[in-house]
Amino acid sequence: MKISVDGVEYEVAEGRTILQALDDVGVLMNGVDIPHYCWHPKLSIDGSCRLCQVEVEGVPKLQIACNTPVAEGMKIHTQSERVQSAREGVMELLLLNHPLDCPICDQAGECKLQDYAFEYGQQHARTQEPRRAAKKRVDLGPTIVFDQERCILCRRCVRFCREVPGTGELSVFSRGDRSVIETFPGQPLANDYSMNVADICPVGALTTKDFRFKIRVWFLEDVPGVCTGCANGCNVYLGVANNRVYRYVPRRNDAVNQTWLCDPGRLSYKRIGADDRIDHAALQNADGIPVAVPLEEAIAAAAERIRNVVATKGAGAVGLLVSPHATNEDLFVARRFLDAIGSTQAGFAVVRGRGDDLLIKEEKAPNASGARALGFEDAAGLLSRTRGGAVEALVVMGHDVLAAPYAESRDALERVDTLVLLDTHRSPLESIAHVVVPVRHAAEKEGTLTNFAGRVQRVQPAVEPPFEALSEGEALWQIAQALGLPGFDDPYDVRAVSKALAQSVPAFAGLDLDSVPPDGAPLAGAGD
Amino acid sequence: MQKAPFVTSYLTEHAGDDAFATLAGYRARGGWEAARKALTQMSPDDVVNLVKDAGLQGRGGAGFGTGMKWSFMPKAADKPKYLVCNADESEPGSFKDRLLLERAPHQMLEGIVIGAWATGASKTFVYVRGEYAQPADVLQRAIDECYAEGLLGSDVMGTGFAHDVVVTRGAGAYICGEETGLLESLEGKKGQPRKKPPFPAQYGAFGMPTTVNNVETFSHVPHIVKNGPAWFKGFGTEKSPGTTIFGVSGLVQRPGLYELPLGTRLDEIVFQHAGGPLPGRKVRGVIPGGMSMPILPVSQLDVPMANEFLRERKTMLGTGGVMVIDDSVCMVRVACVVTYFFRDESCGQCTQCREGTGWLHKIVQRIERGAGSREDIDILLDVCGKMEGQTICAFADAAAWPVQGLLRHFREDFEAHVEHGKCPFPQSFEL
Amino acid sequence: MVISAETRAAIDAEIAKYPKRRGALLPALHLVQKQTGWISPETAQELAAIFEIHPIEVMEVVTFYNMFYDRPQGRHHVYVCTNLPCSLRGARDLLKEIEQHLGIESGETTPDGRITLGHEECLGACAWAPMLRIGAQYHENLDVETAKRLLDELK
Repeated sequence: MKISVDGVEYEVAEGRTILQALDDVGVLMNGVDIPHYCWHPKLSIDGSCRLCQVEVEGVPKLQIACNTPVAEGMKIHTQSERVQSAREGVMELLLLNHPLDCPICDQAGECKLQDYAFEYGQQHARTQEPRRAAKKRVDLGPTIVFDQERCILCRRCVRFCREVPGTGELSVFSRGDRSVIETFPGQPLANDYSMNVADICPVGALTTKDFRFKIRVWFLEDVPGVCTGCANGCNVYLGVANNRVYRYVPRRNDAVNQTWLCDPGRLSYKRIGADDRIDHAALQNADGIPVAVPLEEAIAAAAERIRNVVATKGAGAVGLLVSPHATNEDLFVARRFLDAIGSTQAGFAVVRGRGDDLLIKEEKAPNASGARALGFEDAAGLLSRTRGGAVEALVVMGHDVLAAPYAESRDALERVDTLVLLDTHRSPLESIAHVVVPVRHAAEKEGTLTNFAGRVQRVQPAVEPPFEALSEGEALWQIAQALGLPGFDDPYDVRAVSKALAQSVPAFAGLDLDSVPPDGAPLAGAGD
Repeated sequence: MQKAPFVTSYLTEHAGDDAFATLAGYRARGGWEAARKALTQMSPDDVVNLVKDAGLQGRGGAGFGTGMKWSFMPKAADKPKYLVCNADESEPGSFKDRLLLERAPHQMLEGIVIGAWATGASKTFVYVRGEYAQPADVLQRAIDECYAEGLLGSDVMGTGFAHDVVVTRGAGAYICGEETGLLESLEGKKGQPRKKPPFPAQYGAFGMPTTVNNVETFSHVPHIVKNGPAWFKGFGTEKSPGTTIFGVSGLVQRPGLYELPLGTRLDEIVFQHAGGPLPGRKVRGVIPGGMSMPILPVSQLDVPMANEFLRERKTMLGTGGVMVIDDSVCMVRVACVVTYFFRDESCGQCTQCREGTGWLHKIVQRIERGAGSREDIDILLDVCGKMEGQTICAFADAAAWPVQGLLRHFREDFEAHVEHGKCPFPQSFEL
Repeated sequence: MVISAETRAAIDAEIAKYPKRRGALLPALHLVQKQTGWISPETAQELAAIFEIHPIEVMEVVTFYNMFYDRPQGRHHVYVCTNLPCSLRGARDLLKEIEQHLGIESGETTPDGRITLGHEECLGACAWAPMLRIGAQYHENLDVETAKRLLDELK
């Protein structure tokens, strides 16, 4: 059906409310400004903040856009004098008891109260009474701190806990202007999604302990990316400043993570700048001790050792144990490496853990689906053949192979002639690897990841590692060049790899780096 | 409490008789015959039309047409339908429903059964305010009698019609008198009014189609069925037929209940029936319909008590709670009591109501203390304007109207406070 | 267990009256308070289990309504109505006299735990002001002496 908003017509779906309909067509707060606090696209309608009142022609009273169903031919005005004055009224009343402490509030810069007060507020407060004094810095649980004075009682957090994780830790106690958000004694706000309440809190009432006072948000650049904590591939913004990632916040993608992010995933940003990153290449010396070497030397040594194995045992003795943390492009290079050298010994290992019905997937890596789509099988076969002596040179990406299901893999890895490790973080594998090459995290490179449902999503460099590192694809590429393998003559170019992937693997048709839309696209045949 | 109003009519003529609260006593006065007539001789539509023709308006405060409300109930029998009897009488100055519950419970129950027949409801929840524990007990006894005598249950009066009545007690929250706040409370939740749509006739108690009527409203119904619309219209005004029970309180000689036709003049109620002011005092103003309704000054009491007339004076009949204020009383102090009440009772959902009721009270207190300014008086009106007509339910309006009324007619009291820094009424009740 | 078998049976009888279990929450809170005087966190957890809801949903209800208590109360509740009709007829003076008589302020409990005193909004006894209620019992048309005598009779 058609509605008109401020004279512009929109085709919208029946059965939706005004805000929902405008959100559906992507113009809400993006062409049509209807400020709102309690309404959230992924929560039930509350209708209580009253800020989204609009004028509907033929209806005498102003109507709340969040709860008013659209009707054919409805004419809506969002900027009329009556609407503006109603907004001013709501803002004045909301600010009545709100502390004027923006300079020391960590929400400053991403506060909807601050934004709307600037737009619709009055210059001077007309209240003379002291503002309501309430509890500051209330510890709601392991992740969240609450400032009662700043709360505007939009109840987004209450609805979130009830409707999304279903844990319902929060509630409004009492009534009237004594209303206050509380937890039940002994039942803190503690669920796998608790930190989302800080994202949806429109003011500085709920903040995460992790990000609190780390940095002012206006110093942060929001770089779109993908969380690598599990196979769900939740879309995030990486908050970056000073070549450092300070936080992940969810980036809305209705096909993947709605507007949410799980806590473990959100905190996985810490892996990027972690102390246990492998920050230099290494070669094992005669005593079995890893010794730091320049990256080129490690690449050359890896190539040399592989060449020897090919010479003595044949190309079929070269194996690749790829990582589901690597990008589709990295894995495609791995596939081409095997083809070029003439081996079929390959597999991938993935760590499994607890999953749920919401976002958290059992596979704790972002690209196992990509590995499968590129023909890699579970590592069990490769490891068993390695144990049996069929593989003598093994390139291992990552250390997922140390996880439980592959527990017996270690002796297989220990017995090979050559173990080349391409990894981001330190692990016991370093001590048995003959060559170690530091590689880039997904937040440090160009590429795409394929989530559990076969959705291909793009990552891009948000930060540059403070040490020399290569993507897994580039590392393999350089080894291939050193080996003189055919097809690796050009310098490594991820875009060229990506184009080749899209052209040669049907599932990835049309999914090269520059063609993947910001919210991703499904593998051919994966559906959406 | 008095056993019967000082002036009675059809609703209360037998209220003074203790036996009237029992099934036997009620039957001896012709009780339950109207329900028999409705269930055996009339179709549900006949009943709805009869009540529409009679022009019965809800007596809970809003005055919406009862027959019209019943007709909103869906006809389909695909899911259970419910009636709710709003016995959450909490409007300050109102105490008529308490009398009807305690002294005439069967009259209301009979009205409920007729309403249930008309709307196809299988169950009625009578939501009684928590403080009315004793009226609730009386009502429960009457219900038990009805079950024992086949007037409620699976086969009402042998007609095959099934109807149950459940008494639910509230727990002290004015907002549960608002019909959707009541429904929330009935469902075991905080009594916070629901946003509309959906409306109760589609999605009411426990998600089922529901109609909510007040105690007195149901109590009129048997009389209408028994005597017909023409008889009913013989009471009251053309637009507001029937009687109602006025509760007179405050500073008059004879506070109490009076059952009088709608349209009875307010000055007649105050000066004749209730005996006028206390010795040596003069009436200053009268709140005509419970605390939510704007006050009228003594010069404007020559108004018939029916909405079509009261509206012209910017007030309403409300629940018919007539509060009389005399010349010893400062209206700023009245405003303090009024704004305290609404601040205390706001459910806290909507911004304007939660914050506005608190702000109104703070400003009025400041003026009362003698620390207010002329600007404060204007801010009061401005805040009222911001609260009115912009919230989920009418509570914010109900909080704004009395303040507007006091400032419309008694602004001089507020000005005296801000100008002289003290109260000009030394005899006024202390806060 | 806080909730007695007898109270539990009464709660179950209430639950049977409602199309959804939770409809009986307010009746259940009344019943439990009759037994225990107030709703402790432990009681709230027991009720939450009965009603298949989160304990916090019990407490949000308790804190919303005036007649439910989230802390221990005196053996008797004495409430003076101080709304307008009662205030016009001396309710506030009555409340002050009672405060003096009991040596506590409205909202407090006597040190011996005998009486919790409060003031309340309109109780629907406007024509018979001033008034107070002791538990479920209304006492209307009060003078100060009668009120004091009523309080003194409370054990």
